[in-house]
Amino acid sequence: MSLGVEPLEARVWAVLAEIDDPEMPINLVDLGLVYGVTLEDRIVRVRLTFTAMGCPASDMIIGDIRERLLAEPGVDKVAIEVVWDPPWSSSRMTAEGREALRAWGLSV
Amino acid sequence: MESPNSATFEGLLKRGELIESVSEMTPDYLRELKHTLIVSGDTELISAPAYYLAARKAPSVNAFMTGIAIIQDELAHAHIAYHILEDLGESQEALIFKRDPKAFRYPYAFDVPLESWTELVVANAMYDQAGFCLLGDIHEQCSYGPWKRGLVKVMAEENFHLRNGRNWSKRISQAGGAAKEELQRAVDWMFPLTVEWFGLPDNLKQHSAQLDYRLKGLTNDQLRQQWLATVVPFMASIGISVPAHQENSHYVLDYPFPCTFDAEAKRWDFKDPCTWDDVLARWRARGPRNAEMVALFQESFSKFQVQG
Repeated sequence: MSLGVEPLEARVWAVLAEIDDPEMPINLVDLGLVYGVTLEDRIVRVRLTFTAMGCPASDMIIGDIRERLLAEPGVDKVAIEVVWDPPWSSSRMTAEGREALRAWGLSV
Repeated sequence: MESPNSATFEGLLKRGELIESVSEMTPDYLRELKHTLIVSGDTELISAPAYYLAARKAPSVNAFMTGIAIIQDELAHAHIAYHILEDLGESQEALIFKRDPKAFRYPYAFDVPLESWTELVVANAMYDQAGFCLLGDIHEQCSYGPWKRGLVKVMAEENFHLRNGRNWSKRISQAGGAAKEELQRAVDWMFPLTVEWFGLPDNLKQHSAQLDYRLKGLTNDQLRQQWLATVVPFMASIGISVPAHQENSHYVLDYPFPCTFDAEAKRWDFKDPCTWDDVLARWRARGPRNAEMVALFQESFSKFQVQG
């Protein structure tokens, strides 16, 4: 398996890109919610924002990230820091994300 | 009575094309479409006060936000149905604010109070799954274009409700002890209520105008099976028992269907089978919370109306 030799940071980003937003058909990375990933002593730190402070899915998203990353070899702990500065805007979405939402009927 | 455009209408329906406006419909089709929309709109609308009373018991700020977001979705889904009804010549105001509580056409289950966060998430896992099966079928099969298209986002949002129901049910079950016992009790009374949600069994329902008109595509029993095929394995996966099991590709109930229900005590008597006439009489009489649920959104309506 190539997964085992792939650098952990790349694997973390790949895992985050596999997690869909619970309300829309778009993954967290394409939506632009992930501000950064750092690794230290088998601890993954994720800096994360939400599209709105009133995001009703924030617990679900945090739960999904924790569950998926803890299943990765080499990860003992996941620390998620929720940040609001800079605030999320639609300009943080990737072109792929924009296209996914357009296909779903939401122009951004 | 033959409508002047019935030949054109039959042609559209037979070719699997979509009906787009009242001018293309026969009076019978229009009546059946309105009836189906009223059931859908009433169900979504009444779920809002029913869920709200339980969402107040949320165990965290974010859980409360999730509960409120679900209620907001349900109101939006109701709005879609009533808006289409208005396009079809009905008055939204009369439908929502001027009908007698007993005239609402939502499933009996919502007349039985949801009184805790646990009961709310079981409703998300089972009632919203029923809604998902019923609306998913309409979304796929419905011959009325505006409704079919209006359901695209409804399906995505119902998915979010299911997810809340499943995540929390799993979490409560994992907590074990009294929390898990409360979850099991909620499933015990809500499971058979959702099973009967799908209506008369096919062998007692000789004819369905909704199927003839392609307002839906699956029969009551087919939809009930679809619901059982998702809910039964899910509950088993989280260690919660339900009175049904799989035989080959089919799900079989482990209790007489239908049987008697004590709504005040939230208890089924599996030793006391009844007839579908008894069930229909219970539905017509409505349940304990009917008047209160409807009053929650009707009571302030007249307050700000211009007098005179």
